[in-house]
Amino acid sequence: MAEDLIRMERINKFFGRVQALDDVNFRVKRQEIVGLLGDNGAGKSTLIKVLSGALRVTSGDIYVRGKRVEMRSTTDAIAEGIETIYQDSALVTQLSIARNLFLGREPIRGPRFLNRMDSQRMDEVAGDLLRRVGIGKAIPASTPISSLSGGERQAVAIARAMYFDSDLIILDEPTNNLGVAETQGVLRFVRNARDSGHSCIFIAHNIHHVFQVVDRIVVMRRGKIVADDIDPKATSVAEVERVITGDLSSLAH
Amino acid sequence: MQKASFLRTAISAPEFGPFVLLVLELAVFYAINPEFLSVLNIGNTLTFTVELGLIALAMTLLMTAGEFDLSVGSLFGFAPVVMWTLFNAGWTSLGVAFVISLVIAALIGLVNGLFVTRLKIPSFLVTLGMLLVVRGTALFVTDGFPQRTWSASGQWIASLLVGDFYLGPLRVYASLFWFIAAAVILGYVLTQSKFGNWIQSTGGNPVAAQARGVHVSTVKVALFILTAVMSSFAGIISSIRTSAANPNSGSGYELEVIAMVVIGGTALTGGRGTILGTVLGILILRVMRNGIVLIGVPGLAYNIFIGAIILGMMALHSWLERRHQAGT
Repeated sequence: MAEDLIRMERINKFFGRVQALDDVNFRVKRQEIVGLLGDNGAGKSTLIKVLSGALRVTSGDIYVRGKRVEMRSTTDAIAEGIETIYQDSALVTQLSIARNLFLGREPIRGPRFLNRMDSQRMDEVAGDLLRRVGIGKAIPASTPISSLSGGERQAVAIARAMYFDSDLIILDEPTNNLGVAETQGVLRFVRNARDSGHSCIFIAHNIHHVFQVVDRIVVMRRGKIVADDIDPKATSVAEVERVITGDLSSLAH
Repeated sequence: MQKASFLRTAISAPEFGPFVLLVLELAVFYAINPEFLSVLNIGNTLTFTVELGLIALAMTLLMTAGEFDLSVGSLFGFAPVVMWTLFNAGWTSLGVAFVISLVIAALIGLVNGLFVTRLKIPSFLVTLGMLLVVRGTALFVTDGFPQRTWSASGQWIASLLVGDFYLGPLRVYASLFWFIAAAVILGYVLTQSKFGNWIQSTGGNPVAAQARGVHVSTVKVALFILTAVMSSFAGIISSIRTSAANPNSGSGYELEVIAMVVIGGTALTGGRGTILGTVLGILILRVMRNGIVLIGVPGLAYNIFIGAIILGMMALHSWLERRHQAGT
């Protein structure tokens, strides 16, 4: 069995008196795609925000590659190799694909004081990455994000996470508002990311999408994890739905 | 084929609209009064244009980063007052006084930037407050009277900043070269440099930029400082050229400068900016002011035309943007 990449132990999170996370234990193995499911308000987003550094825990420990870490900000999480991709918010729509990929880590060409971006190299690497992530048609790396479709934007965000060697890519509702073909594209990007050595957490309301891509399903309800080892190959969608709504307290395996 | 696509790229560029407008303006004014393109008139128009233009160039970067500065006009009046007061009182040489007034301007820009980034107060309110503080200080220090500046002749700094010479029959001030240098450098910074990428992302999506490790606050503070220093520099140039350091000068410049920037195609909401567009925007407004007088329209009607240009250009930019997005 592969070593755990992420281990979260006894995580509690309070907003005032409201307990959003209740003694949560959660882990992600290397090269594993975990589907995180639960109804609205179950605590999925809070758990992800804690892991991506956007929220701080009230109590509990987070281990990355076996080492205990403090997540004070999203920058901390990125430094630990944890990349979170939200539907839209992670990209600057006015900038090109290449400029977004390298934002904050632009390579410099020529004397340092000129501060000149190496646009040629950025375009080359970006074009290469887009092919690797499996984007269908040829899109020039100089295209602004604003003229890309939702699925292509996801591809750019995933490509960026892969290039900067993020070990864990968290995808929050990556297939929301996407058409059928676009959704299949995104699912393919996620599989490609795993096959090249990355782990993923996949959150989606559409359980069918989750079933198509994940290795293991974790279900949350009211701030607790109620099932953490559902095998999508051995379980039906209907059963998982009943776990989510609480009709079935858990699945025995 | 290649040609057609080049034309399409040119038309979809944000600078295309302003460019056409400027050409139209020049053609109309010239048709009505050929004096408009006389060497004397071109020289006269350029002289003040570049002084105001220096502020607009800096403002372009600041607005691309999603902020703007209303205190630029008051700094335009304040900085020369500081410089001449120090010099006339016999405390320092003119060169040192020049440096001191720019340092004070930088500190004012720093305060603007810190209020906006640390206290999260909108730049509209911060710089409106700063406008009143700076203008009030200029008036208080001088009792409202202009400072003596006639002692500038023969000072090396005066000839460095506004020394004049003739290019053929055209009288040119050194400030034109300062303006060109500033436009080239800031254009390079905005489009080619890593810092330029940070400026655009700061205005476009500050949350995403911050998450990628861009120091959004530092970018903004640096640009507030740049804008304040450039405004003061412009004010000092103007005061030496006109031999007047009036504490009231520069009133209303803030809005004219912002108008120049948005007419050129820089987004008021940030994320997208163009130095070339701003240069066109500067020329459009200054040529309009000059041409209107020259063709006999009362100068008091000037603002009607400026307002109409702003509304027209905004409509054009929004139309182009929608068309561009629908086409992809």
